[in-house]
Amino acid sequence: MQVFKAFFRIVNKNKMPLFMYIVIYLALTLIIGSVMEENSQAEFSGVSLDIGLENQDQGSLGRGLEEYLGTQNQISSVPEEKEDLQDAMYYGELDYVLVIPEDFTEKFQAGEQEGILDGRAVPGSSSAYLAEQEITGYLRSLSMYLKAGCSAKEAASWALADMGRKAEVEFLEEGEGQGMPRGFYYFQYIPYVFLILMILGVGGCMNTFKEKDLAARNKCSSMSFLSQNLQIFLGCAAYMLAVYGIFMGMACLSVRDYMFSLQGAFNAANAFLFGICSLSVAWFTVQFAQNSQMLTVMSNVFGLGFSFLGGVFVSLDLMGEGARKMAKFVPSYWYVAANEEIQKLETFADGGKVFQSFGMVLVFSLAFFSAGLLVGRMKVKER
Amino acid sequence: MAKKVVEIENLVKRYKELIALDHLNLTVEEGEVFGLLGPNGSGKTTAINCILALLYFDKGSVKVFGEEMQPDSYGIKRQVGVVLQNVAVFGELTVQENIDYFCGLYIPDKKTRKQYVEEAIVFSGLEDFRKFYPKKLSGGLLRRLNIACGIAHKPKLIIMDEPTVAVDPQSRNRILEGIQKLNREGATIIYTSHYMEEVEQICSRIAILDKGRCVASGTKEELKSMIKMGEKIHMEAAGLTPCQIAEIKELRHVYQVDYQDGMLEIRCSGGKHNLVHILDYFGSREIGFGRVYSELPTLNDVFLEITGKELRDNAE
Repeated sequence: MQVFKAFFRIVNKNKMPLFMYIVIYLALTLIIGSVMEENSQAEFSGVSLDIGLENQDQGSLGRGLEEYLGTQNQISSVPEEKEDLQDAMYYGELDYVLVIPEDFTEKFQAGEQEGILDGRAVPGSSSAYLAEQEITGYLRSLSMYLKAGCSAKEAASWALADMGRKAEVEFLEEGEGQGMPRGFYYFQYIPYVFLILMILGVGGCMNTFKEKDLAARNKCSSMSFLSQNLQIFLGCAAYMLAVYGIFMGMACLSVRDYMFSLQGAFNAANAFLFGICSLSVAWFTVQFAQNSQMLTVMSNVFGLGFSFLGGVFVSLDLMGEGARKMAKFVPSYWYVAANEEIQKLETFADGGKVFQSFGMVLVFSLAFFSAGLLVGRMKVKER
Repeated sequence: MAKKVVEIENLVKRYKELIALDHLNLTVEEGEVFGLLGPNGSGKTTAINCILALLYFDKGSVKVFGEEMQPDSYGIKRQVGVVLQNVAVFGELTVQENIDYFCGLYIPDKKTRKQYVEEAIVFSGLEDFRKFYPKKLSGGLLRRLNIACGIAHKPKLIIMDEPTVAVDPQSRNRILEGIQKLNREGATIIYTSHYMEEVEQICSRIAILDKGRCVASGTKEELKSMIKMGEKIHMEAAGLTPCQIAEIKELRHVYQVDYQDGMLEIRCSGGKHNLVHILDYFGSREIGFGRVYSELPTLNDVFLEITGKELRDNAE
């Protein structure tokens, strides 16, 4: 088993970058998983601001604005002293300060709008922006009714009624990735890291054995070519199993309950099949990569390309119809599709769609392996 | 009669329009250090690759240990050690791991292999570097590692393709001494080089290749006897007249005289006292001269006379 042992010595020599990929990946997926799980119980609530208001206007429009702002914000009086006002704003006791001047109703009815209100806020404050949005919206509505011929009182009343309407906020229950368990996120990004690890790990070793002088030297030996190739194949398989084992081991530690559920078992199978597929992709890419630099480029092209196209990083829901159609031509799409279907499973018997995706991943494995074989043979013939 | 280890008959190898080997015939006998000498591109490496079944050839036959050599002749390959022109070792393995790897391709038994690896390390003087990775080794040490990987399994036939290219003189001497030692221990060696001094030093029989053909073969003495030149005399002599040069050319055994920049080169076809005759001539004509030295013919002279060009023309 000289070739097999040499294969792992080469892997061992190149282990640092591979190890870094694994550690960074595990750390990121665990963080993403826990963050997404915390946010999965999503809720919506309106925002209430603390507004300091001084209404000097005795007209109905000034009163109407005061009343409108009071419907959804906390209104308080404006401190008399300038320093007290600054302190209140600095310490966040007031988000916005509004002074409605005494001639506001008159000026507004006359069609004047620019600079007739005196509003103050902490520069760059999002709360101030929100308050100004509310005021502008109210004034726009008010202006519309006045132009339509309503009296100031009527306009104030209608504008208040309009602005008082609340938009109903509902969450999409069907959206993929919403409210998924941590295990889902752990497995979601596996195609990227598996592709990178297989192309760099297996590809690196195979490139060494493919190196012209070493290959010639090995051919001169009394160990049969078949035996050498078989040992390289065994090395690749063992490497894939080792990588898979590390990820499953970490999954058992980090999402233990999930792993011992039906979903966990299916996800483990899905990852295993994608491991085989990544190995085939690595075998295919190594036919083109002449050195480690090219191999790194290839790993990024296939790792990132397949991951983005296949919906690993960006949910398939957010993709256009065209992109979704194209995505079906990369194996990671079927991995992601299986991963999402797995979350809906209640019994083993429900796994029809999942098994279909498993089959597609295997078909891709076979396709990449055959293409690699073909390219390899063509290159030998060229030589 | 010594056993034939390698027999090449009418070997033809073409690379598209280029004929790399043109009906090459060679025989290497057991116990020889057989030198394949020729300039770059003469077909030495192609011949070696055909012997090792690394290349398919167009015509002819190659027999090793009396059997037709094929890519799957693993029984024959077990007895053959190979040191290729370019260093072929794993950059990711240490010196000891590399030797163990290549030895393990022939010797499955761990205990025997361990002993052989140790012997190869000692043989190549790499005891202090066994834990070193190849990229930490100098060019000479790397060549020695390449040789250690090729000979560790104690082959009966060792094929070395220019093993001393780009090696410092100290490492070169060590490598050449090692090759002679391997031969004394019973290995038959095929040694290719374009360094004629090396070939003269270690080879018991030599074949000279040019344009894929064997233009001459034999011991170095036999090769030298094939050519007209028996001695070459160089003299510093300023201001010789064409008449004097013509007179020198008429001296006994002298067949060629070249005179350039005050340096006289006289080629003699044989005889024992050529230098005395020439000095007598200079004395009798009272012609002054400076340094004088005499050379016996080299393999380069053999190559020059047979092919009309110098071995070193294309050499590094």
